[in-house]
This record gives sequence, structure tokens and C-alpha cells, in this order.
Amino acid sequence: MIARGAFRPGPAPVIRRELRRAFRRPVLLVPILLMPLLTMAVLSGLFSWGQATRLPIGALDVDGSELSRTVTRMVDIAPEVSIRPVSDMGEGRRLIISGDIIGLLMIPQDFQRDVLRGRRPETVFFYSTQMMTVGNLALRGVSAAVTTAVAGVRVSSRTARGQTNDEARAAITPIPVDTHPLFNPTLNYVYFLLATVLPIILQLAIVTVTAYSVGVDMENPARTRALARLGGGMGTVLFAKALPYTFLFLFLLGLSDVVVFGLLGTPLNGDLITLVVTAVAFVVAAQLFGIVLGLWMRPAVNAISVASFVMAPAYSFVGITYPFMGMNTVSRVWGAIFPGTWYLEARVDQTIRDAPPEVAFQPFLVLCGMAVILALLAVLGARRVTAVGRRDGR
Amino acid sequence: MTILLRAHIREWRRMFTQWPVFSVLIGAAAIYAVFYPQPYLNEALRDVPIAVVDLDGTTASRDLIRRVDASADVAVAAIPPDADSARRLIYQRNIHGLVLIPKGFEREISHGRPSPIALYADAGYFLVYQRISNGVTGAARAMGAEVETARLVAGGIDPSVAETIVEPVRFTAVPLFNPQGGYATYLLPAAFVLILQQLLMIGAGLLGAIPDEKGEEPRGFGDVVSILLGRMSAQLILECPIFALYLIVLPHVYGVPRLGDPLDLAFAALPFAIAVCALGQIAATVFRGPAVVQLVLATMGLPFFFLSGFGWPASMMPEFVQAAARLVPSTAAIDALVRIGQLGATLPLVAATVSTLWGLAGGYLVLAIVLTARRSLGRR
Repeated sequence: MIARGAFRPGPAPVIRRELRRAFRRPVLLVPILLMPLLTMAVLSGLFSWGQATRLPIGALDVDGSELSRTVTRMVDIAPEVSIRPVSDMGEGRRLIISGDIIGLLMIPQDFQRDVLRGRRPETVFFYSTQMMTVGNLALRGVSAAVTTAVAGVRVSSRTARGQTNDEARAAITPIPVDTHPLFNPTLNYVYFLLATVLPIILQLAIVTVTAYSVGVDMENPARTRALARLGGGMGTVLFAKALPYTFLFLFLLGLSDVVVFGLLGTPLNGDLITLVVTAVAFVVAAQLFGIVLGLWMRPAVNAISVASFVMAPAYSFVGITYPFMGMNTVSRVWGAIFPGTWYLEARVDQTIRDAPPEVAFQPFLVLCGMAVILALLAVLGARRVTAVGRRDGR
Repeated sequence: MTILLRAHIREWRRMFTQWPVFSVLIGAAAIYAVFYPQPYLNEALRDVPIAVVDLDGTTASRDLIRRVDASADVAVAAIPPDADSARRLIYQRNIHGLVLIPKGFEREISHGRPSPIALYADAGYFLVYQRISNGVTGAARAMGAEVETARLVAGGIDPSVAETIVEPVRFTAVPLFNPQGGYATYLLPAAFVLILQQLLMIGAGLLGAIPDEKGEEPRGFGDVVSILLGRMSAQLILECPIFALYLIVLPHVYGVPRLGDPLDLAFAALPFAIAVCALGQIAATVFRGPAVVQLVLATMGLPFFFLSGFGWPASMMPEFVQAAARLVPSTAAIDALVRIGQLGATLPLVAATVSTLWGLAGGYLVLAIVLTARRSLGRR
């Protein structure tokens, strides 16, 4: 291909070789492109749903009075839920288990009469929390609607005692709580999923693909030696093998950001430069993770095994779906070894939380420290590989 | 028949001697069983740290702070002098909420006027927001009810009547299936099904992709089917104790409420396992080489979990996503196995989902046979 006299070892021929090999294996596109895109499609679809509305719940109105009908009507008006009449508890239970309804509102017999006589009857809302988010949303809607309906009763019992309507309304909540949801004014959790899932899927792709790309070349000492000559040293070889992927993964991360923050309108409130710098540190740290595995574990299938085994459940440990404060020490420590954990902290801070840029300093430093330690391990691994290669070569 | 039996026996040996296969099917299954539930073992969040800025500094405001702190949901972790220093604590994630008691809080109450307080709560986590909101509004409501009753009594109304005016109807919310509202109870049953799928799919894929050196050359389509069925039956038998571990033992160990009948579970789990085994074999014929099989299948876990629609009703997803989701065994399996296992559904209540699973099992089995036959017979 290249005239002998013109050949000079260095990164360029290794990069050319890596690109050629990547194009020959289109199957790599599955973890790199297809899975992230599929996830984006699913989450974007969910996003258009955003928050659950009109979740089906059952109503068992045993009383059938004017007051009980007012209550069920109020609940039906609540945006979160819609009511479907149920004839008895057995039917309600069946419908909940089969998933046709999320919960069941029960209004007891003589409800209206008991209210008027001051007997404080009880309405009960049974709701399924097996699907946690959905169940809690339904509860929020029902609870607010019942409170509103009951407030009507409370106001009218006061106006009957001679208070004006305004006085009565003011009197029934002596200490109102004016609640402001921070960082998520519409209480739409899909924003957080959207902003965080893709980096974690990419983290898995980065580590496994890098472990694969490095691992297959280190399986065979003769190939390792040839490659080291091509690049003029293992350090250059590894750098040159990783470099095209660094750009590819940064491009993918950027692309996903365009979709998440541009098209879907997830808030991007923070400092853009901080965001980009931590993203680069994240990709490099994750690649080094893969390089270390590719150098130390052989054959390549074992390197990929370990890479996917460690990285696949990462989303549970990064503190997004479930906060760190609720986790035990084992999980916190485990979460801290993922580059993605630190990147996501900075990412969420610099996008949704609108935190000052200096808050990102700590996660950035951790990512850099991680990269340095992994780079040292990679150097040791590379020495070992070349040493083995030399021994076998003699 | 004997060719099937020989393939079956050989497969058992391979499952225990091929390191990559063994580490996925048994090693990973054992480690994930202990390791994966770790983040959720504390179950419910308690005492979420919040800050209170008390601009009033009166008996009433201190009474409110005490009530907020006393709730199981939140704990007053800081009393910063102003809202700005509280904001800094929130950005550093030291606290997750801020209650602001304005000046004149006590005066408004004693004058019989509404005396509002402000709550700023981190809404980045559903659970955290819910806890803070419950804890603070609960405390404010309880104190408000006392204030309201005291005012009515002071106005000459009998205390028992005053109570019915303050709360004429009692509203009780009864959470079913997950009474503590624990995250483990919510997540683990579904995640376990997904772990089973991923490990079995990768394991079966590796077994299909790693060449069987002592294997017999199939002499016709019948041999291909026999060998494949022999191998898959070995994989399925190996999975029996692992499925029992993940579907029955582990939920029990981690305190997840469990109602289902084991036989119903088995009937729903069998087609799931067949479909997953067949998918692994299909992957082995499509992607040549164990390393690539492992690489491709490993990245599918998280996307499949979101696809399964766990946590939001599947009907909310776009049509094409729903169609794609139905092709993945875990979607129907999570639905059916969680309903049977945790909600105590009987088979008739999940009949539609279980038939989907049987359909997937049949479809993927046929496809696996066809693809394997094409590859192994086409080579000659």
C-alpha cells in the first residue's frame, strides 16, 4: 500500500487502520448508534406524553347522593385522572390487578347524611403503587380534588354560621403553604431521564467498544508487535486507536444534546463551556476505562464481558432515578467509580439546575483524577503487553 | 433422538467449561443477585435534609419548625440566616428544600388572618419532592387545624362541633402492593426480569457463537432441529434454579411483597425463557463471533428496560415504539410476572400477556431454527 521508503511510524497509519477496520465491521453501529437512537425515540415519545393525564381510576359510590356525586365529579375534573364507575369492591380489585384502573375511590353509604350530622365519614382511595410514579400521580389528583370538594363543605358550614364567603375561605387554611418546585416547575421527570440516560448508554458503548477495539489487537502477540511498529510505540498506538472514537462519541453526545435541549426543550440554563469541558473529560475517562480493560483482560471477549458486566447496571448507581442520600455506602462507593456519575452531576447542574459554574469544578477534578489513574494503569498494561509480545517473539 | 441427547449432554459440559459462558450464566447471575439491589435496600427515604429561614423568630414560627422537623419525611438540617445562603446549600446538594417563614407570621395568625409560608423543594427527584412536600404541608396543615379549632372554640362553638367544621370528611389513601412506598419494591421485580433476560440472552448467544469443537455435523434439517433443541433444553434446565432464585427467593430476601402462585409464575416464565434463548441463538447466527455477540447484546439492557413501559402506561408511547416494544420478550414478561408475583394475579387475568409470550417463543424458535439451518447446512 505504502512505499517502504515513505513509511514513517506514527499515529496517522494507526488511525487509518482503525477507521478501515471500523468500516469493515458495521455491526459496531448497533451499540454505538442504534441503541442510543432507539432509547432517544422511546424517551421522546414519552416526553410528548410528559406527565400522565387522565389515568383511569374506578369510583365506587355506594351513597349515590348529591354530595357524593359532587365529589366524584370533582375528581373526574382533575387533570391527572378520569373516573370509571365500578359496581363493587370485587370488580375494583380485579380491574386494579389486571391493570385496567390505577386506583379505586370509595365513598361509603350515608356519606352525605353523616357529613350533615357531623359524623365525619371516611372516603378511601385505594391505589396501586406497584407502578410508583403513576400511582402517586393518581393520588395527587384525587387528593387535591377531594380536598377541594371538602373545602366546599367546610365553607358552607361556616357561611351557615354567618361568615361571608371570603371570610370562610380565608379561615379554612390558616397556614397556606406556597410551594415552588425547584429545577422542575412542571414536575416533568422525563426531562431528567432525557438529560441523563443517553450519557449512560454512551458510557456503556464507549467502554465496551474501546475494550473490544483494544482487546482484539492485544489477543495476538504478533499482531501487537506489528501494531507497535506501525505506530512507533504502544502509547502512540493506543492514542491513535482511541482518537477517532473520541470524536465520534463527542459528536454523538453533542447530537443527543441538540435533540434533548434543542428539539425537546429540556432547559439548558447553565454554562455551555463548562458543559463541553466536562463532556470531553467524561469521554476520555470512559475510553481509558475501556483501554485498561482491553489491555489487562484477555481474550477480548472477557474484556467485553467485564466491561458490560460493570457498566450495564450503572444507571441505578448514578443517583438520578434514586438519590445518593437514600443509598447505602456500598452503592455510593460503587457509583463513584463510574465516570458517568460525575459527568451527570455536572451536566444536570449546568443544564436543568442552573447552578453556578464553580459547582462543576469538583466533578471535573474527579474526572481528571480518574483519567490520570486510568492512564497510569494503561501504561502499566501496555508495558506488560509489549513485554509478553517480545518474549513470545524470540 | 440420540443426536438430541448427545447435543444436550455436550451443552451441559460447555456451559460449565467455557469461561465466558459460565461467567455470564452463573457468575453474573450470582453477583447481580447480591449487588444490584444495593442502592435500594434502605427502601423508603426518610428525614430528607431541608433548611428553614425563620424571618419571624417567634414562638409560633419555632413551633412550626419543631413540627416540620418532627415529621418522618424531613429533617431540619440547617437554619441559614437568609435565602441566599440556603440557595448555595441547595446547589451543593447539602439540603433539598427550603422553608421560608416570613416576618409577621405569628402576628397574622393571632389576628385571625391566613399566614402563608413559602416552600422551595428540589423537584429533581420525584421521591424527594414528594417527601418534602408531604412533610411540610402536613405540619402546616396540622398546626393550621389547631389554630382553626382554637379560633372556633374561642368564638363560642363547642369543641366537638368545631372539629367537624375543621374536618367534615376524613380522606384516607391506602397504597396497595407497596405499602411503604419503597423504591426496591417498585423497581426490583421488574429489574430482576430484565437481568434474567439479558444474562440468558448473552449466555445463549455466546453458546451459539463459540464453535462446538466436538459437535456433530448435522446431515440434514432434522439434525439441525435436534441439535438445537438438545442444546436449548440444557440451557432451559440450567435456568430453572436461576429463575426460581430471581422470581421467588430474591423478592423474599429483599422483603418485596409476594402474592403469586409459583405454578402460575412458572407457566408465564417458560415461554419467556424459550423466547430469550431463541433470541440469543438468533444473535449468534447474525453476529459472527462471541466478542461481537457480547458487545451487541450487552448494550441493549437499558433501552429494553425503558421500552418495557415499566413506570408509565405503555399506551402513552408512540405506535411504532409500542410495536417494537412488543417484540422484546421482557416487555410482556415484566408485565405478566410482576402482576402474578407481586399483585397476586391469576393466569386468566394475565392471559393476553402470557399468550403474547407464547407467540414470541414460537416465532423466535422457528426463526432460530431457520437461521441456524441456513448457516450450518449452507456451509457445505
